[in-house]
Amino acid sequence: MGMLDGKAALVTAAGGGIAGAIARRFGAEGAAVCCVDVNEETVAKTVADIEAAGGKAIARVCNVADEAAVKACVDETATIFGKLDVVVNAAAASEPLHTVANMPLEVWQEVLDVNLTGMFLVSKHAIPHMQAAGGGQFINISSTFGHIAWPQRPAYMATKGAVRQLTRSIALDFAPDNIRANSILPGAIETNRLLARTPTMEQVRAKMVPLHPIGRLGQPEDIANAAAFLASDQSSFMTGSDVFVDGGFTAV
Amino acid sequence: MGRLEGKVAFITASGGAIAGATARLFGAEGAAVCCVDIVEENVNQAAADINDAGGKAIAITCDVTDDDAVRAAVDKTVAEFGKVDVCFNAAAYSEKRHRLADMPLDMWKSVIDVNLTGMFIVARHVIPQMQAAGGGSIINVSSIYGVVGAKERPAYCAAKGGVRMLSKSIAVDYAVDNIRANSIMPGPIETPRLLARNPSIEAVIERHGPRLHQKRLGKPEEIAQTALFLASDDASFTSGADMIVDGAYTAF
Repeated sequence: MGMLDGKAALVTAAGGGIAGAIARRFGAEGAAVCCVDVNEETVAKTVADIEAAGGKAIARVCNVADEAAVKACVDETATIFGKLDVVVNAAAASEPLHTVANMPLEVWQEVLDVNLTGMFLVSKHAIPHMQAAGGGQFINISSTFGHIAWPQRPAYMATKGAVRQLTRSIALDFAPDNIRANSILPGAIETNRLLARTPTMEQVRAKMVPLHPIGRLGQPEDIANAAAFLASDQSSFMTGSDVFVDGGFTAV
Repeated sequence: MGRLEGKVAFITASGGAIAGATARLFGAEGAAVCCVDIVEENVNQAAADINDAGGKAIAITCDVTDDDAVRAAVDKTVAEFGKVDVCFNAAAYSEKRHRLADMPLDMWKSVIDVNLTGMFIVARHVIPQMQAAGGGSIINVSSIYGVVGAKERPAYCAAKGGVRMLSKSIAVDYAVDNIRANSIMPGPIETPRLLARNPSIEAVIERHGPRLHQKRLGKPEEIAQTALFLASDDASFTSGADMIVDGAYTAF
């Protein structure tokens, strides 16, 4: 008996490290999972992993900033699975290092479009399905950088702070519909994305592990564990919360 | 296979509703449980419930502000079950309503002694056992009133804010020993203690009005489920975190 038996989930960025681990865990816990990503190859791999483990999943290629595509993807998921009651909003982009003063507007806008407006769009089109299903759960991936600052990432930090409040807004407005919404704030998680700015994982570890009292980087599965909890009925009184999974990074 | 198979849990205030529900859940999930409370009858009942359900528990009557008694209780747990690797610190009480200037010093000291110093004392005796066991998880029950203010409860609010940072301090200092420490912040939970302060459940719901977004109080079991997550290896990267379980009370 899985923690998520009978649930139908949509996971954005499911081709990525963190959301991929979430999708696989949800599949293993009995949920049917629609894996969404802009990258066809990586999302197909996640679906293949879920199916190979005996789970149920479909892949959809979709840009979360494209409203028509998001609506089609969400509606189709509900049609195929018979409902939609769990959404993990993980799609996010990060800008190259800039300060506010030297960041081109287009760079800012692009990060906001994906990280924030994309989350708005997926949520907006998922909510009617959750209402129809009698309730649901949103798990929105913020970041420790939605809580503390870091040099030269103004757009990323602004969106991750905004995610926390967007999540609370959903929590309040849709509590009467039995819809819960919570944010997860991961610390540094060992994914390929960390290699965007630092050549090797060894260098990432040398820089970031000392900031995490627990003495290691997080693994994608660490975030998947928290997401499974928040998607399950075990967290039935949790809504509007920030769940830090950061190895003590922000406790210092 | 329970999620806490092989673990030994030390649970204060086990005779109460929240810690009692936690003790029963931990017992059902395979942990051996030492139930601690200042009220002998209640703690015996909690241990009996666990044993009757096929679990393993002992009861110890102990005041958490008594350093020698707490040490003896921890030692007895280790003598009985071989180790301690989970600690749920819940012993707390609230002063009668006073604004600060009207509060007798004795009343302040007594709340701080139980709610804050009691947690320090329990932690200081379980930590060496956790070090010996190769790690552990400490779960301290704070409150939403460790995050936002409550009218006429200065000592309770101060103690619960203190608990929050005490947890983070433990998380940072003992990460090196593979010990995690987290706080849970419950919102209003349906317990006999809450009823003792209020004429009825309905009156509590009405008083909190728009902040209870799910139009209900939380249940002790919903806190127990969060504690289970934190006690389990699913939370292996979660340390120094504040788990707000309040139905969006503080999100509003």
